[in-house]
Amino acid sequence: MNDIFIDVDYSQVYKHGQKIGGDVFLLSRNPDRNQIVAILSDGLGSGVKANVLASLTAHMAHNLSFSPMDLTHSAKIIMDTLPVCKERKISYSTFSIADIRYDNTAEKIIVNFLEYDNPPALFFQGPKNIPWTGETIDLQRKGAFKKELLHRQTFNLEIGDRLLMLSDGVTQSGLGLSMPLGWRIGGVNKFIERTLENNTEISSKSLTKAIVNKALNLDGFTSRDDITCSCIYVRKPRRTLIVTGPPFSKESDVILGEKIKAFNGKKIVSGGTTALIVSRLFDKKLKVDLTCWSSEVPPASNMEGITLVTEGMLTLSKVATHLEAKTPVYDLPNDPVKKFIEIIENSDQVHFIVGTKINEAHQDPNIPVEIGIRRTIIGRLRKALEDNYLKETSQEYL
Amino acid sequence: MKKRDKLLVKICVGTSCFVQGGADLLLYNDFLNPELLDRFEFEGCSCLEACKAVNDADVESKPPFVMINGKLHGNMNSDKLNKLLSDEI
Ligand code: FES
Repeated sequence: MNDIFIDVDYSQVYKHGQKIGGDVFLLSRNPDRNQIVAILSDGLGSGVKANVLASLTAHMAHNLSFSPMDLTHSAKIIMDTLPVCKERKISYSTFSIADIRYDNTAEKIIVNFLEYDNPPALFFQGPKNIPWTGETIDLQRKGAFKKELLHRQTFNLEIGDRLLMLSDGVTQSGLGLSMPLGWRIGGVNKFIERTLENNTEISSKSLTKAIVNKALNLDGFTSRDDITCSCIYVRKPRRTLIVTGPPFSKESDVILGEKIKAFNGKKIVSGGTTALIVSRLFDKKLKVDLTCWSSEVPPASNMEGITLVTEGMLTLSKVATHLEAKTPVYDLPNDPVKKFIEIIENSDQVHFIVGTKINEAHQDPNIPVEIGIRRTIIGRLRKALEDNYLKETSQEYL
Repeated sequence: MKKRDKLLVKICVGTSCFVQGGADLLLYNDFLNPELLDRFEFEGCSCLEACKAVNDADVESKPPFVMINGKLHGNMNSDKLNKLLSDEI
């Protein structure tokens, strides 16, 4: 698994009263090619027309980024293609494109960044803003109605770095209301620095939400333009280990213990027998927690060193069902399933260690079936985590 | 009465017991005679292994299991638990 996680997210509110936005944020991850492309586009005006312009721009930029074409050339194509507005006789939408590529170990992350007429993107190393030094390209397109300047920059991202793209709804918030000139890029910058100082590990979702909320606040809670903010944040991945099923042989019990000890992250043990093995290995008491259960799943247990200990099959299959249905956590009763889901929702990578012991009672025809069921459930969990929650998963048998 | 003087009642919360009636037993606070609640200490425990030795001819060997003061009782339900605990004191 990668030692680096690229957390990309955004927040947005539309102009007050609009059901559709003129700001469009588009993100796609292409793990096969080690590439992530994030685009923020702002179409002229607001509402449907602006949305069409912005979507068109964003999708074009997106497709072109995955082609081998040079970004500057892509930008030209985009601007040549945009339909012309009937009233204003101009075709116009702004865009920022961050084309992120990394090598297999994700040790080196390179961003190709291109910006046209959006407020300048902000780059942070830790809580510190680093000013831009990129080049400016004059497109000199035929038929352009104004001077078209592209800003372009290529740079490396490292752990703790953030790149934020904003629409002008953010920088112009509060204009003529709480602030005569609006919030402006300097104000946004200060706000982000302060937020990062207080919370160095804030997720992209929370940071962008804080910025958008602040902008909305400055606008007197009646947004006068679409307000959009996105963040690309490079950090160490948060990991969860899920151990289920007793290992194949007694000797592998010790290996299991070592693997659990060595794992850096949250740890879940699922299954009664498995929990007993772990409790014996670590010489830690297992205590059933009768405050945390529901009629559908048996209580969780507490054990020092393990984040969560649950029953096996019932719990895992319930978790799988809820992940497949994307049930919001707050809709769940306070039982082990809820705790389980909360933990994995807050991780980037989930690793499964699946025990394959054929039970001593092997005359019992149910046992092989049980192993098959376990395998199927793990398969469902992994698929749901990858498809619905964009988590990285991996698995080993023991 | 000091805590350690109370007899221990272990309710099995292993998968087999839980799905075969053990879940209802965890509501002991609701169905047990209030006097009994003071006289015993209750806790949940993982599989007592009794579910692996079920004898089809004997209903008493079937889940859910409860262990009262070290003695295993099968095929448990709320009425039976009330009665067994009353007999115990
Ligand atoms: S589950 Fe209760 S004895 Fe096995």
